[in-house]
Amino acid sequence: MPNSDTTHAAGLVGAFLQNWRQNIIYIGFIAIFVVFALTLNDRGFLNPNNLLNIVRQTAMIAVMAIAMTFVLSAGEIDLSVGVVAGLSSVTVAMVISVAGPFAGILAGLATGIAIGTFNGWLTTKIGIPSFLTTLAMMGIAKGIAMWVSGTSAVPILSQSYAWWFGGGSIGPIPVLLFWILIFSAVGHVVLRRTGFGRRVLATGGGEQAAGYSGINTAKIKFRVLVISSTAAALAGMFYAGRLQSGRFQLGEGDELSVIAAAVLGGTSLFGGKGTVIGTIVGALMIGLINNGLILMGLEFSQQLIARGGIIILAVALSQKRA
Amino acid sequence: MSTVAVRMAGISKNFGGVKALKNVNFEVLAGEVHALLGGNGAGKSTILKVLNGVHVPSAGTIEVLGVPLTIHTPEASRAAGIAMNYQEMSLIPTLTVAQNVFLTRETKSGGLIDDKKAERKAAKLFAMLGVDVDPRAIVGDLGAGQKQLTEIVKAISQNARILVLDEPSTALAISDVDRLFTFLRKLKKQGVAVIYVSHRMDEIARIADRATILRDGKHVITAAIGDLPIDTMIEHIVGKRSLGLADIERSDAVRGDIALELRNVSGRNKPDNISLTIYKGEVVGLAGLLGSGRTSLAKLVAGIEPVVSGEIRINDRPVSFRRPGDAITAGVALVPEARATQGIIAAHSVSDNLTLAALDGLSKAGFVIAAKAHAATNAQIERLSIKTASCDHSVSTLSGGNQQKVVIGKWLAVDPDVLVLDEPTAGIDIGSKSEIIRLVRELAANGKAILMISSELSELLTACDRIVVMADGRVYEDFSRAALDDPAEANTDITHRLQAAEQRLQISIQEALAAGQEISHAQQ
Repeated sequence: MPNSDTTHAAGLVGAFLQNWRQNIIYIGFIAIFVVFALTLNDRGFLNPNNLLNIVRQTAMIAVMAIAMTFVLSAGEIDLSVGVVAGLSSVTVAMVISVAGPFAGILAGLATGIAIGTFNGWLTTKIGIPSFLTTLAMMGIAKGIAMWVSGTSAVPILSQSYAWWFGGGSIGPIPVLLFWILIFSAVGHVVLRRTGFGRRVLATGGGEQAAGYSGINTAKIKFRVLVISSTAAALAGMFYAGRLQSGRFQLGEGDELSVIAAAVLGGTSLFGGKGTVIGTIVGALMIGLINNGLILMGLEFSQQLIARGGIIILAVALSQKRA
Repeated sequence: MSTVAVRMAGISKNFGGVKALKNVNFEVLAGEVHALLGGNGAGKSTILKVLNGVHVPSAGTIEVLGVPLTIHTPEASRAAGIAMNYQEMSLIPTLTVAQNVFLTRETKSGGLIDDKKAERKAAKLFAMLGVDVDPRAIVGDLGAGQKQLTEIVKAISQNARILVLDEPSTALAISDVDRLFTFLRKLKKQGVAVIYVSHRMDEIARIADRATILRDGKHVITAAIGDLPIDTMIEHIVGKRSLGLADIERSDAVRGDIALELRNVSGRNKPDNISLTIYKGEVVGLAGLLGSGRTSLAKLVAGIEPVVSGEIRINDRPVSFRRPGDAITAGVALVPEARATQGIIAAHSVSDNLTLAALDGLSKAGFVIAAKAHAATNAQIERLSIKTASCDHSVSTLSGGNQQKVVIGKWLAVDPDVLVLDEPTAGIDIGSKSEIIRLVRELAANGKAILMISSELSELLTACDRIVVMADGRVYEDFSRAALDDPAEANTDITHRLQAAEQRLQISIQEALAAGQEISHAQQ
């Protein structure tokens, strides 16, 4: 019956609008896109190259933000993602120059796993809150990156590495888009549809209750911190591939965009609530805003102010009123 | 002869120097509902947590279905076939009902979690129980009764051989309790052992086959429920305790003017149509079980929750509170139930805690005058004989009893007319308990009006001039303290008299409960 189909569709739209605060990120994303499309069309906003550029610029934030969704959902936070990306770009570049791309990739991943293990160990075994652990790690990882690279850029000469990690494209489609799609799909399924994801949400939603239900909450927290650092290391490898060099400044300050992307997407800073799809849209929205503000010809200082204002507005609108 | 489902032998549990359980034997048969009874601090929760693997016993052995339980973790206990509801403590507020029910045992299709299937399975369980809870609802949005049902369904969904229900009926409507009982009888037939903890004797009499009574961490008696009429049960629960309260001197109150008057006051949910008058120099106790509306009443009086209808008058002037600050200005202070989260700021110093409520009076142009604050702090430390290394030590370094004195001192520093004490002696040692009771008497003698909530009836009987019994948000009876004394016991020693009065009060609470349920039944 076509009639029941239309009422069903109307019901879905109604439910969507009723929960508009929850869905503000999607509404906001579309609204901003439409506004930019109308006002910035003559400056090439809708040009496919420009749109693909947004994807290229957002990929690193998106990958880190997917992992951050797990960290926040478990009621923890990871401030060290930006500097870990910088450090891994340096280790990848240095190891590639002496032992080739394959060893470089392993070295980059090992960097992330090592730092994540250290963060997780300090947080769950020593009992230092992850906010402090990863705050301290910001300094440590950056220091290491500066030290081993002598604060200079380390070039990457392997073209195949650069193609796979950030620089390449298949026809007009950047390889990074495929990476985003893979990570989104995996992240979404793991958080929504696996026992691990459910345990992450339970740990952040009520740690004591989760413990009483037989969940080893320390293990869950440990794992999300390792996942986060590893994803940050991958993001660093993308930076390195895209710029064909590793430098300690890469990824600097990204932690704020990453956390903003997740929170914009509806992930709670207090744990227990998180969605990977929302996070991706949040990351794309930040990329979209950055791109639009540049096309508008705003100065960097003005961009910062406008971006902060838009993020505050979006998060404020998504808050549930009592 | 049924098989033994649980055999706990010689169980002891110490927390630091406190002996919560002393050589307790506890045996439950398959296919029976076994009631576990005892007053507050008798050790019921502790022994259940030992059984459930949350606490490791200091001594003793546990056998489950003939197999010794040697590893003491929640997972090991569950693997052995024990499931327990925790009074809403094992639910994750951000997940749905179905997600909570099957937490860690998720329903999967093709290796992935299938929430739709879990929702259908949960719906079946709720249908079997005959109760109406939406499996897709977020637990945080549910009312207390629905949470409780979710908790119970979570426990029974584990196909447990031993099901532990800790106060399962507290937040349930009477019709839901009936359904729960029908369901428990079904489980019994399947050979499941049910351990049932409740303060409601009428329920115990209806559902339980046998009962074990604990008192002060010791096993008192295990008997068939037919051999335990309610007053015998109460006698065993109350016992011949020496609480160190008996020697507190009770002098008759000198009543002054009316300090606090409630006229037909109702809150959002509870309490319901309360009228109550407290005079200066008088201590009025609120007795009743969990959910009887005692704490809600305290919160109304302290301006924490809004008054929906009726009038509160203080010193014969009508007042209306929009926030706690209004109540404090009007002269009402509340020593809240949850000391750790509502009473003290644990990391702050004794001095900072004691002066927190009185800061305005101790400052000039926004600056706290150190000398004045110091004097105020020392005055309270001396008056309440708070044992602390110094006034600059953090409150977290103090014992529970001294922490509570800090909370009381914080309010005495603003010199209120009406002092509301919600479970002021919860979790503190017996020495400090009697000190606090003595203090309550002394404050009344100095003209304060005091409203005191306690689940320890002997304390109410020692401290109060009048005791109001509440159930289901309403006042059921208003006793003068003397009316609770049994004239037949008048010549025996004070311990006996206290015990006799406690039994009368306990019986009244149980009657109030039954009456309260009839009223809500009639209203449904």
